[in-house]
Amino acid sequence: MTTQPHITPVEDTVPKVAGELAVGENLEFQHRWWTFERIIWPIFLLVVVFDLLGGLGHGWLAKAKAATSGGALTLDYERIERANTPSTMTLHFGPAAIREGHIQVFVSNSVVQELGAQRIAPQPAVSSVGEDGISYTFPASVSPADIQIQLQPSDVGLHRFRVRIPQVAAIEARVLVLP
Amino acid sequence: MDTIIRAVIGYFILLLVVRLLKRRAGSQMTLFEFVLVFLIGGVIILATVGQDRSVTNCTCAVIAVGFVHRCVAWAKSRSAKLGTLIDGTPLVLIKQGVWQEDVVHGMGIRPEDVAAAARGRGITSLNDVDYAVLERNGGISIVPKT
Repeated sequence: MTTQPHITPVEDTVPKVAGELAVGENLEFQHRWWTFERIIWPIFLLVVVFDLLGGLGHGWLAKAKAATSGGALTLDYERIERANTPSTMTLHFGPAAIREGHIQVFVSNSVVQELGAQRIAPQPAVSSVGEDGISYTFPASVSPADIQIQLQPSDVGLHRFRVRIPQVAAIEARVLVLP
Repeated sequence: MDTIIRAVIGYFILLLVVRLLKRRAGSQMTLFEFVLVFLIGGVIILATVGQDRSVTNCTCAVIAVGFVHRCVAWAKSRSAKLGTLIDGTPLVLIKQGVWQEDVVHGMGIRPEDVAAAARGRGITSLNDVDYAVLERNGGISIVPKT
């Protein structure tokens, strides 16, 4: 007994519904999608403008300055950082910061750990640990004197840090690290 | 682990942006649109891999993207609504010889694009087109008048 092969003829026709081509068009969805597009593109534009202004780091809005009364210590840093991206924190020291030919500055551990301090320039003569941070001592003669700490944070989130000149002044600030 | 999370986020960001690009990125690409696709892809790669450019890291990222893509494809096959959301819906540009102006304008399609698709079917005049459909893959299907 032979079996007949099952044959489905290929027809050169286009399916039609009520005389119109049936393509599965969903115009109602498409109109909703266009509404979504009209909303999302202005949001994208705002993101770009916000980024250009530095609201997402590396720009005018991100730059911050903090100073102690008396001007012994002024700090330039970025209040908004991006993860795994280098930036520089600069410490400016006034005359009151120099004592017996030295500047001693304390930075909290969060500068090293959360904010990822990579290197400090110039190199300190002495480094010592304690009080949940690191104290650096630099030989200094006259002000103004600057120290730069290169940062490269890896942890996303809001981080607090503290910079202090012992017995003179202290600055506490926060940095938001974006992914 | 960070790489896999970044790869998944990058996949969905890319999916959203390409989906918003008026359905021209994947089909009928001009040189202008090639620039866009390569640039977006390159930027996402940088953000995904980060500083770890090891073979291990890149392999994990590629596998993660492949896995997410397969999951999305599976979800699309199970849900027509999701399929419509991700791929869009076919749109009729010319219906029974009449331009559907709101669709043509909304999708940023030029008559030249439809004429090019018609020429691909051996049709030299748009007057001979019964239906022109913008398909979900970005191609334009032409049904000639009989």
